[in-house]
Amino acid sequence: MMRAKDRLIIVAAGCSLPAVFLLGLEFASRNGWVNPTFLPAPSAIFATFAQIILTGAFFAPLVHTLTLLFVGYSIGCIAAISLGVLMGYSRAIYNLFEPLTELIRPIPKPALLPALILFLGLGAPMEITIVALGSFFPVLINTVQGVRAVDPVMIDTARTFGHKSPAVWRRILLPASAPYVLAGMRISLGLALLLVVTSEMLSGNGGLGDAILSAQRSFLVKESYAWLIVLALVGLVLTAIFNWTEKRVAFWQAPQAQ
Amino acid sequence: MSVTALHQVSPAPQGARLSIDKIGKVFTGPSGGSVKAIDGVTLNVEPGEFLAIVGPSGCGKSTLLQVIAGLMSPSSGAVRLGAQDVTGEPAHMVYLFQQYGKSLLPWMSVAENVMFSFRHRIVMTRSAARARCDEYLAMVGLLDFADHYPWQLSGGMQQRVAIARALAAEPKVLLMDEPFSSVDALTRLDLHALILDLWTAKRFTAVLVTHDVDEAIFLADRVAVLTHRPASISEVIDTNLPRPRLSIETRESPNFLALRHRLLAHLLARPGGAAHDAR
Repeated sequence: MMRAKDRLIIVAAGCSLPAVFLLGLEFASRNGWVNPTFLPAPSAIFATFAQIILTGAFFAPLVHTLTLLFVGYSIGCIAAISLGVLMGYSRAIYNLFEPLTELIRPIPKPALLPALILFLGLGAPMEITIVALGSFFPVLINTVQGVRAVDPVMIDTARTFGHKSPAVWRRILLPASAPYVLAGMRISLGLALLLVVTSEMLSGNGGLGDAILSAQRSFLVKESYAWLIVLALVGLVLTAIFNWTEKRVAFWQAPQAQ
Repeated sequence: MSVTALHQVSPAPQGARLSIDKIGKVFTGPSGGSVKAIDGVTLNVEPGEFLAIVGPSGCGKSTLLQVIAGLMSPSSGAVRLGAQDVTGEPAHMVYLFQQYGKSLLPWMSVAENVMFSFRHRIVMTRSAARARCDEYLAMVGLLDFADHYPWQLSGGMQQRVAIARALAAEPKVLLMDEPFSSVDALTRLDLHALILDLWTAKRFTAVLVTHDVDEAIFLADRVAVLTHRPASISEVIDTNLPRPRLSIETRESPNFLALRHRLLAHLLARPGGAAHDAR
């Protein structure tokens, strides 16, 4: 166990690096070492950021992005878990779907955007679809592995007490594979955020991705960076929520590994 | 029932005779080859009897027990409990696994694990279920750990939870697959005494598969010796040791030692036995 004092030193050292970085940018920008039009001083960016927050301007784009993210991510994860459980459980179903999923999985998802725009236009349906598609595959692969890794002893335990198939699924297969599913959902969350921003930039009708790109196109460079900070915070908060949830859903994993 | 009740007069044996009738099991490999694991095993276990099945490792004794439990279907022959054929998982038989670490579900507390064995079968209030759970946890001395998780307990404690869970289902037949082989030697002696206490109190039929000759003699009324793979019965021996059996005294009695000698000689003499493996 690390002593509190040692931990404090490490945390302080870790925090000092971003501070040094920001200070460096501030100097570079003020002294004209970089073009201040392209890279305004962090202090100026933070002032703009504060304005966005205080005027409530952040609200609409944030809600737009989070809604698309939530809907697309949920659809992707639920579909992937459903199919993944079936594919993990049954060889036949796995063999049926594996060629199809292996065909689509390796395609970098942004490459599908032009086709999706043709079919779905530039609105929310296209954005939600691409987020769902991106979220789908990591969760699918992990769920298949997770279900396969369930120890037969666990399933036989349920059977010997006379639990029928639905109960075995709900009470054994799902919780036992949950840590794997969550590992996949963690990867998907990052991908979902990436895709929602990319598709918003392409659509240009709202959201944080649109805000970043529109500001840059209007030469509102400070605003563009300020929106980037909002996006970074969104990522930070989402990761924190995810960690919190994971610790509670798969609470038996960490202590068991010790 | 409280812990002290274990030492009161035991009830009459419950349940029906377990008949294992010419069981055979052949495994077919993916390449089409087949392996005969069990070859015509016939055994009758009377209600309330404690039967041990010993055999060299890899002889197919676990397979035999899984067939008896209905977890695996036999290639030939049949298992009957009373007049009923065993197909699927019979309601009155419970299988106790060697790997308590995998059999106890880590996302359920000790109490939830125990209730997992009976709650779905019986319509009962939460408090009634908890009372039954507590009764069995008290019998194995783990009432204070009801709200712990299995991974917070030692190996011996985990196997006691598994035993409490198996018995909380109130089976007529308890099938035990080397349940004491993954705990340390002292804990094992402790669990032997515990299982005999519980068996005396509840009078279920017990079938124990083990490779430990001492364990088989100490616990059982009869010991069935299996041959090397494919498993068949080579001998069934009555232990005829008085009950209650005492952890130290019984194991030092001349009769115990004579049985031990006979069984070990029998197991080691055969080609393909343990002595053969050691070469």
